[in-house]
Amino acid sequence: MPRQTYDVIVIGTGAGGGMTIKTLCEAGLKVCALNSGRRLDPEKDFRNHRMSWEMKYRGFGDPKTRMKDMPDFLDSEYNPVAWEHDIAYTTAPGTKWMWPRCSAVGGKTNFWGRSSARFGDVDFKAASLDGYDTNWPVTYNEMAPYYTRVEKMIGVASTVQNRPSNPDGIYLPPFNFRCLDVILQKGCEKVGVPYLPDRIAQLTEAHEGHPACHYCGDCTFGCEVGAFFSSPWFLLPVAEASGNLELRTNAVAKNILVDPNGQASGVAYIDRESRQEYEVQGRAVVVAASCIESARIMLNSKSRRWPTGIANSSGQLGRNLCDHLYATTARGYLPQLLGQPSFPDNVSANSIAWMPRWQNLKHAREEKFIRGYSVYPEGGCSEFPSYYDQIEGFGSSFKQEIKRRYPTPISLTVQAPTLPSETNFVDIDPEAKDSFGIPKARIHFQWGNNELQMFQHAKQISADVLHAAGGVLEYAADEPEMPGYSLHETGTCRMGNDAKKFVANRFGQTHDVSNLYVCDASVFLNCTDKTTTLSILAFTLRTSDYLVEQFRHGSI
Amino acid sequence: MAGQSIERREILRILTLAAGAATFPGFSKWSFACGHIRSALAQIKPAVYQPLFFTAPEYAMIERLTDIIIPTDDTPGARDAGVSEFIDLMVSRDLNLQQGFRTGLSWLNSHSQNNSGKPFLSLNPDQQVILLESLAYKKKFRPGEERGRKFFDLIREYTVMGFYTSEIGLKELDFPGLKFYAESPACPHKDDPEHRHLEAAPLKS
Repeated sequence: MPRQTYDVIVIGTGAGGGMTIKTLCEAGLKVCALNSGRRLDPEKDFRNHRMSWEMKYRGFGDPKTRMKDMPDFLDSEYNPVAWEHDIAYTTAPGTKWMWPRCSAVGGKTNFWGRSSARFGDVDFKAASLDGYDTNWPVTYNEMAPYYTRVEKMIGVASTVQNRPSNPDGIYLPPFNFRCLDVILQKGCEKVGVPYLPDRIAQLTEAHEGHPACHYCGDCTFGCEVGAFFSSPWFLLPVAEASGNLELRTNAVAKNILVDPNGQASGVAYIDRESRQEYEVQGRAVVVAASCIESARIMLNSKSRRWPTGIANSSGQLGRNLCDHLYATTARGYLPQLLGQPSFPDNVSANSIAWMPRWQNLKHAREEKFIRGYSVYPEGGCSEFPSYYDQIEGFGSSFKQEIKRRYPTPISLTVQAPTLPSETNFVDIDPEAKDSFGIPKARIHFQWGNNELQMFQHAKQISADVLHAAGGVLEYAADEPEMPGYSLHETGTCRMGNDAKKFVANRFGQTHDVSNLYVCDASVFLNCTDKTTTLSILAFTLRTSDYLVEQFRHGSI
Repeated sequence: MAGQSIERREILRILTLAAGAATFPGFSKWSFACGHIRSALAQIKPAVYQPLFFTAPEYAMIERLTDIIIPTDDTPGARDAGVSEFIDLMVSRDLNLQQGFRTGLSWLNSHSQNNSGKPFLSLNPDQQVILLESLAYKKKFRPGEERGRKFFDLIREYTVMGFYTSEIGLKELDFPGLKFYAESPACPHKDDPEHRHLEAAPLKS
């Protein structure tokens, strides 16, 4: 391959990488994208249109080879080998952390949860309201046009809700409420908390050349027709059509190369199959490998000019790791629906409604915790009757009871943001290397009191809601899920105006290295009560526009 | 109920055409993803199943236990769905499962031997059920049977897994999935938001 200098090297092809690649290619820049895994082929790799009995291990996966202690979706037979098996991290003593990484082209957007709420000034200016940490270097007014462009591009189904915590956007028709939603909504009304259609990046009607959803099953196994947003269905084809993209797969990024002035000059990567190291040169480099991996690559990019990792003069690279605390705050069933015919409720595994943040909105300190959380309800006729363990015994009565309860299950999950903390961060393990010889990330993380208070609060409210809805509460978690479970980690390369305190500036350009940009959730100041993908897309679109401008002005 | 269910073959055809009409050139390969119709795997069983892991006497016990847990009555049960074969496959792939099942089956036999002087399969069906009831129902728990209860939970779990992932089991539940809808399915009882006045569905006797 002749040595070529690309305009931009982009590490990662997920939400952030995909949006950057598309925007740059459309603007005529020559882009080389590195992706650590292979391309997926929906026909072979997405198995949502198959029934459990058509798979050798009925969808549970081979007990001999499947990863233990990981969520089921990570290694299920429905999408084998999409998730990374090479464990590239260690944890500090006392830290528990689960780091599922999707190495396939498109990353986690292939399988994501699709909830797509805008951040607002309630998030960006939270520090002014409650005095904790600092404000974001952007305002909602600056971000709103980017959210609008993203929503128009990807298609988000919801309604205008006028919630103080949730700016409204441009929406496709919402999902219809199922029986369980109507019942729970009534319960929420009695308790005084909101129950509304979630914002879901899933097409309730055909949109921009993409077909409408046909409600066949569980989207987290990947969509065979591209009826919800993913980078490979919505972004990368546009980039490839421009003729400006070279996508190198199985290219595991190792470190960013620098020139004698400390500017980024390219990326060194290891070919997954040959294990050989290669270098690719570019005028600018975009890191979009997801929060922890981006920090790892930058921390591993040590040079004479950047002895503690590239763009780390602030010492903040890897710091301020945040995550969403996830926990089942209530699980049980709705007796009103006992014995009802099974409902054609193919979206059962999907969250179509939400209970958006209602706490601390009149005053910043109404509750024992600051800021707020959201709750996601799920339930209905899912494929597998996992509630069977609540039913005692065996025999015909057992079988009948499983069937009688089929339409009734319900569960509520809290999504509670952690606050940035000095003690939650990523660094490089001085001893351990992964199977490619790249030093591993080491994670230091503990839940804080604020999110644990939210968890307790959410448990109480969830029980109240279930009771008010006439439901039966059977279970609430004593402990949250393991940190990392939400896949919503943020921080590690936070953006801010002060170069001494932040890695990136307000545009996602690193303060130290003007041709190095960060395009994922690592630039976020914290994770808010909302999910991250829509905001990754909006912030990344803004950063990409800015990067294109730098080329036009000749700054790069 | 909103949305007419259409035959999946038909909707796959429609979707294939729709996706093919999309203007993104990058889709040329993927647009036919749904043209693939899953091959209906015939559930062909050899005349006599040769277990991968269990010995013949162990396998006979697995067959009997799964049949008791989800019996064939007026609807099909674990036996009809070949659940014991599924369990054998899963167990053959995991050392922990192998230990759990083997020691569990052996516990059950010695327990039966101690109580009735016969191995489990030589008990009559009523005696088998009575023995299992003390492992399955809290009210009937007896001290010293913790290992037996643990094993019963294990085999019940794998019986449920095997049955409700089989075509027969999901049909028995009337699993509504993999029918495709033009519109997201909606609650048909909007006039009764609390669902307090639903017509009770007749329970199969």
